[in-house]
Amino acid sequence: MTTDLAYRTAAELAGLIRARTVSPVDVLQAYLARIDRWDATLHAYVTVCRERALDEARAAEQALARRTPVGPLHGVPFAVKDQFDTAGVRTTSGSRLHADRVPAEDATVVARLRAAGGILLGKLNLTEFALGGTLTYPFGQPRNPWDQTRETGGSSSGSGIAAAAALAAATLGEDTGGSARSPASWCGAVGLRPTWGLVPRSGCVPVAWSMDVPGPITRSVEDAGLLLSIIAGPDGHDRWAQAAPGDPRADLERGAGGLSIGVVTHLVDSPDTDASVRAAVREAAETLRRLGARVEDVDLPLLPMAGAVFMALADGEAAAWHHRTLATRGSEYDPGTRRRLVTAALLPATLAHQAARARAAIRAQLEGALARFDVLLAPTGPTPAPPIASAQAPITSRAEAGRRFFNRRSYTTPASLAGVPALSLPCGFTTGGLPIGLQLIGRRLDEATLLRAARAYERATEWHARRPPLPD
Amino acid sequence: MTELTSDQVRALAAAAGLPLDGPDLAEVTHRLNAFVEVLGGLAALDLTDAQPAPALPPDPPRTRG
Repeated sequence: MTTDLAYRTAAELAGLIRARTVSPVDVLQAYLARIDRWDATLHAYVTVCRERALDEARAAEQALARRTPVGPLHGVPFAVKDQFDTAGVRTTSGSRLHADRVPAEDATVVARLRAAGGILLGKLNLTEFALGGTLTYPFGQPRNPWDQTRETGGSSSGSGIAAAAALAAATLGEDTGGSARSPASWCGAVGLRPTWGLVPRSGCVPVAWSMDVPGPITRSVEDAGLLLSIIAGPDGHDRWAQAAPGDPRADLERGAGGLSIGVVTHLVDSPDTDASVRAAVREAAETLRRLGARVEDVDLPLLPMAGAVFMALADGEAAAWHHRTLATRGSEYDPGTRRRLVTAALLPATLAHQAARARAAIRAQLEGALARFDVLLAPTGPTPAPPIASAQAPITSRAEAGRRFFNRRSYTTPASLAGVPALSLPCGFTTGGLPIGLQLIGRRLDEATLLRAARAYERATEWHARRPPLPD
Repeated sequence: MTELTSDQVRALAAAAGLPLDGPDLAEVTHRLNAFVEVLGGLAALDLTDAQPAPALPPDPPRTRG
């Protein structure tokens, strides 16, 4: 019963709480029980705000008893990546360097979720400073809820785990080059990267200003839309944040009929794409065709270069932000983070500038395709979650560095480079029981159509309803 | 471009004010050479008319002054 309650979606829980069918305290206790049972193994959380959340849940219960008007997340426990500032709660960015950093104010997105009635349950684990490649996690090695020897994806590792394993009702991640979509894909959840600029980054420790965007990781497409509807829009601090064109859930239940969908052949049919992933994604395209969408292949030959182009640009931005600390306290970084940042700091400026031109070319190619199709379809990543040990092995050659860092990033980074929205949702499982992620890419500020396509697929399939093997 | 040696990479790091030695030096050398190789391939593309701006909203706020 407790587990069933915990696996409800945030929208369902909000409805049950509003109707006083369940108590916010009981809902919170359900998640605390699962955290107590599983988090010492999975390491989704850096900090659990147990007492404060219980106080807030009791207050939420009292507000309902008084029939006070309540917000759309009233009494719903959410958790956020530990990259978002939280007033009075330490915000580590997954680093020893920030282990004792306690912000005075909430990040805009956290403040908005709380203002909507949500209860901050805790802060979620991540790769150090939201860069990939962490070798030793100071707050525990995140483990995949489907197979604890496997990677979770990053950088929003804890957000992916907590959503998939029902350790929170909904979570917030941050997506620079796939950091919401990759953990969603490998953990079996829904991860949304909104249009760049739609969600303010104020109070979010930056990775790369030109591509960072906060985004939800949830157990349903509807929840992704619900959270986006709360966190989107200007806040007066992030100078690039802009107004949403409307409620992103406006077309959620319209179905796939009449949509045009382009299948990105350079990613689906790439030799890097695992056969199980290719088959699941092709079958997903057929499902959408059966639902009434027009589905055609589309060639985007620049996309396989996106991973290297992204890393040259994003890592360069990150290296600039970290340069002073790297020079004076370099030994306090995780070795994987330090090597990544130092590499970017040494990249010749002419190559970085070429990468900036290549970003424009990749963006133009993607926008050209999105002029012909409502949504593009591709795998979220080339493989299901790999073993943790494989990501921690030393790099011994130039070729291996390229394979490990550039190739898989070419699946999620095209949307990042173009600033367009993209979403990952479950589209199958391997024979070994690992989730496979389907990526949908939409037009700028057209999250409504992106969510419509995703919801149509979700409604027609059962993949999202599977639960990881985590007994009570 | 030619492949960078560890000594050259160490010298680059010193110029940037970043200490680099031991296992870090070997791995950064491999990583940097991977970047140089892959991004060097961009020279084959005609990017002359590609305006290297990041993705921005259609109406960026004006700066003052």
